Amino acid sequence: MSTDRRPMILMTPAMLWLFGLMVVPCVLILVLAFFRRGVYGGIEYTVTLENLALVFDPLYFKIFLKSAGIAGLSAAIACVLGYAAAYAIAAMPRRHQSMLLFFAVLPFWSNYLVRTYAWIVLLNREGLIVNLARWLGFEGELPSMLYSEQAVIIGLVYNYLPFVILSCYAPLSRLNPDISEASRDLGASGWTTFRRVTLPMTVPGIATGFVFVFVLSIGNFVTPALLGGGQFQMIGNLVYAQFLTANDWPFGAALSMVLIAVMLGLLMLQAVVAERASGRKGAQNG
Amino acid sequence: MTQSFLSIKDVSKTFGTVQAVDGLSLDIRKNEFFALLGASGSGKTTLLRMLAGFEDLSAGDITLEGTSIAGLAPNQRPLNLMFQSYALFPHMTVAQNIAYGLEMDRLPKAEIAARVNEILEVIQLGHLAKRKPEQLSGGQRQRVALARALVKRPKVLLLDEPLGALDKKLRSEMQLELKRLQHEFGITFIIVTHDQEEALVMADRIAIMKDGKLLQVGTPHDIYEAPQSKFAADFIGVMNFLPVEKKGTNFVGADGSVIRSESVTEIAKNGAAIAAIRPERLHVTGTGENQLSGEIAAVAYHGLDLLLHIKTPLSDTPVISRMTADEADGHAPEVGQSITVQWSAKDTHIFPN
Amino acid sequence: MADRNTFRLMLIILGVIFAFLYIPISVLVGLSFNEGGLPTAWTGFSFKWYGALLENEDILKAAGNTLIVAIFSTLLSTLLGSLLAIGVEIRRRNGKWLETLIFAPMIIPDIVLAIALLSFFSLIGVKMGLHTIIVSHVVFNLAFVCAVVRARLKNFDWSIVEASADLGASTFTTLKRVIIPVLMPAIVAGALLAFTLSVDEFIIAFFTAGAGRASITLPMQIFAMIRFGVTPEINALATLVMAVSVIALALSQRLNKGGLPGQ
Repeated sequence: MSTDRRPMILMTPAMLWLFGLMVVPCVLILVLAFFRRGVYGGIEYTVTLENLALVFDPLYFKIFLKSAGIAGLSAAIACVLGYAAAYAIAAMPRRHQSMLLFFAVLPFWSNYLVRTYAWIVLLNREGLIVNLARWLGFEGELPSMLYSEQAVIIGLVYNYLPFVILSCYAPLSRLNPDISEASRDLGASGWTTFRRVTLPMTVPGIATGFVFVFVLSIGNFVTPALLGGGQFQMIGNLVYAQFLTANDWPFGAALSMVLIAVMLGLLMLQAVVAERASGRKGAQNG
Repeated sequence: MTQSFLSIKDVSKTFGTVQAVDGLSLDIRKNEFFALLGASGSGKTTLLRMLAGFEDLSAGDITLEGTSIAGLAPNQRPLNLMFQSYALFPHMTVAQNIAYGLEMDRLPKAEIAARVNEILEVIQLGHLAKRKPEQLSGGQRQRVALARALVKRPKVLLLDEPLGALDKKLRSEMQLELKRLQHEFGITFIIVTHDQEEALVMADRIAIMKDGKLLQVGTPHDIYEAPQSKFAADFIGVMNFLPVEKKGTNFVGADGSVIRSESVTEIAKNGAAIAAIRPERLHVTGTGENQLSGEIAAVAYHGLDLLLHIKTPLSDTPVISRMTADEADGHAPEVGQSITVQWSAKDTHIFPN
Repeated sequence: MADRNTFRLMLIILGVIFAFLYIPISVLVGLSFNEGGLPTAWTGFSFKWYGALLENEDILKAAGNTLIVAIFSTLLSTLLGSLLAIGVEIRRRNGKWLETLIFAPMIIPDIVLAIALLSFFSLIGVKMGLHTIIVSHVVFNLAFVCAVVRARLKNFDWSIVEASADLGASTFTTLKRVIIPVLMPAIVAGALLAFTLSVDEFIIAFFTAGAGRASITLPMQIFAMIRFGVTPEINALATLVMAVSVIALALSQRLNKGGLPGQ
């Protein structure tokens, strides 16, 4: 017993910190979602389901679906590119792999705003891409690439691609080369081997990458604000607006609650995928 | 009898449902080199850790010079432990490692320096004082760990498998070295080991542990020559075992011959028992009360001695006889030869099976 | 033959992906040194736009604020996170809820934590400013420090802790003279990571900074500037910010061979 109490003393300050400044505020959001907005902003302490109902009002629910669409598309593109990159890194000589991985992930650790800004530089009306097009001989009015859905998707893919590379590389690098050689030996072509052997064994990495990109994208408000230019709203911007401009905290809280529910659901789904894959691996070993 | 120095009284330790140490009592004398010998899982390390203060007692008491130390934290006990892994501080030099314990005693700086230098000379590592542990060889690390514990001049030094990580040659050197240091410092050493040879070479007394209990305590000679259980007989040295059956007052071997013994451990009922004889007690010549005949299955040299593996009807496994060079001179045994060996009743131990 | 073609394909894939990852940043860095400041023409190498940063009061003020936030949140989170890691690893048998609590700050979306903290601070009536940004940054930073230190503790030889006690040291002395010195490289690596995370963090700072310009941080300043379009000053500022993160992380990586936890 005494050996258990001493580590508790070391842990207590951090635990209190996390409890007071993470658990309590998050619970507060959950509670807030069930109160009514006051007439002049603020909160009226009467319990109601109005806010949650409002989330599913067609006006707002459309934004929800739109956000989910953009997040899903970004995640899918990031997974294709990220898997290809991870596969290519894993195919390189072992001694170069960790360095390649380091440089693939390096941009991820630099400032998110700066990385997003870099695309404004490339895409804006006087930007590099437009100039390049002119130089190549395109005349007249070029379609504005900035402040569009495409720009937002490019921005999201660009920002989260390193994460997908990382999550796909992990299972690929653990893959036993004998297994794919066995498949070739049994008569499968390279493509069939990839489709029937390599891909199924590395699905958990893709699932992890997809879920994280989706979760980080659907709640994002920086990229839509900067690259979408207020042309359309995503759920993150809506939450932002409720708290900082519209002053409707209960509705903002209800929106976040639904957002958290979607995220938790996906994270659980990803855990299930990972577990099933490891179960399958176990069966193969056993 | 000397006054009891370190006294372990009815000590038990349970981990969940596992009884690691089971009502064990033991007195250890001052300045003695004591070995706790047992297989892994016998509870010997748990007992040592209870002495050092890293495990609470589930029951019982431990007293040192008459006062209980059972309630003291490890840092308040006048006992020091030399860890099996050595547990040297990787961020400190050899000298800093050794000085650490003295600093904890808040000794004056000059005295610390003097004592560190002195012990560095004793272990002959003065020239490596400024090295970090990772720059030392296994043997050097072992000596630093020893010095770090010894320099505090504890009343008792506990050693957990101190030679386990060393190669065989270094190990036999260090066995003698440990013995020498124990004499020089006049400190009680309690060593935990699974290596019976190590215990026989170094210890003044040995305790054999099994399943958290003591099987036998005694000098190496006692334990070797007069084991009190089949386990002890088997654990220490090489032993021949012949299955026998008790019929009245006699013990009858598998071939019907009577085996005579002057060392019979209490056996109440008629039935199966086992006779144990050391290989070196079987002789080709002489007049022992017992004898057996068989065919030589293998001959192996062991130094100057010869080990004969003899197939006999008395047991399934061959009986091993150890012949000295002198004995072998006249006979020159060969594989396939038949041979008769005899031995004395006082060298035959009979245990319940 | 087939293998060589596959290998070539892999190299092409790597080339395309790395180009995608690095061209945008490189263009940004390049433009920050362009005398004319415009992407249309290269008019010569110059530090002019970096000089301009030093004369911009708003940027200097924001940089100062960021430094204050980063330093204090790093100090606090390094202390709390390291102790947490040590406690958790000594204890070993940790319930699932405990692991979740420690892991949560790393995966919880910034916007959720940001609005939760904003509501919390206003509800309990705390006036917001740099101090609220600092305590908020500590929430996720301590989790990252804890993860880095725990990684090091996974192959820590706990017998040296017992050896220290055996040689007469109290628990506190053992912590001070044995555990913390041995963990120092990981602790410093964790602190560097916390520092860059705090310097770069935008959303939580944005929500917990309170009204007015008094406690604006560098990312908030950058955000405000970006909304008005591309300027050579932002290029220079962005390059500097990126350099700080990359240097701190390279150092952190170097100190802690265990690698960085995935975000």
